[in-house]
Amino acid sequence: MATAAITAGLERIPDQLGYLVISEDGVLASAGELENDEHTAGVMMQMVRTACRFRLPGSADPCFKRMSVILEDFVYTVTVSGQKVFVVKRQNNQHEPINV
Amino acid sequence: MGCCYSSESDSTGTNGEITEPLINHKNPASKPPNGTDWVTPNVPSARTDEQALLTSILTKTAQNIIDVAAAESVMMEQHEYMDKARQYSTKLVVLSNSLPPKKALGLPSLTSQPHQVLASDLVPYSDVQQVSKIAAYAYSAISQIKVDAKEELVVQFAIP
Repeated sequence: MATAAITAGLERIPDQLGYLVISEDGVLASAGELENDEHTAGVMMQMVRTACRFRLPGSADPCFKRMSVILEDFVYTVTVSGQKVFVVKRQNNQHEPINV
Repeated sequence: MGCCYSSESDSTGTNGEITEPLINHKNPASKPPNGTDWVTPNVPSARTDEQALLTSILTKTAQNIIDVAAAESVMMEQHEYMDKARQYSTKLVVLSNSLPPKKALGLPSLTSQPHQVLASDLVPYSDVQQVSKIAAYAYSAISQIKVDAKEELVVQFAIP
């Protein structure tokens, strides 16, 4: 998939505030609030790598499609496809506080 | 686990499988691993019930106790250490060569349609709250785990 085709699809995601496309070598594409955000790219890469190491007993592949990092005002949604990590920052419209 | 009072599960691994030693020695040590002399549980019929009982108590005690003093007295010459080290490393090289090649550390593919996955609805608030609550309970439970020391791990036997 060409970079333009990848980013065009990400632009159309509802409530998106910005996105990152990351490969093993670094950031391939970025836009919006995540433009050139190497720091977030590094953190998300580490988080998704860690999440991929969790396996349910008896399954060889990770048992999730998407990782969501939920904050008060926005959510980072992360997935991996074709050796690329996609991070989309989306608005969080669910404003109720999380009480722990 | 190699602690006292765990000899019953010494030979079994966590999966209940018997763990074999890396190298089987042709001449096993004359003493058992817990440092005590073997006590034969077979009691000749001539002995009284009291003696049989005593023997069974002795056997049980010997199985449950690691004699630290006896273990320390087993000295090994330096060349013996070197020989063992060499033997183990040779064995490890052989075993590691027979292992399947390590899987590439690349990222696994989670989906073939990243756009759909990223554009789908966000996790409902109630689900997030439930997960947070469960995590908080688990954290609280883990923080309350305590080791309760009941008795001394190493004790001196007063032999008259």
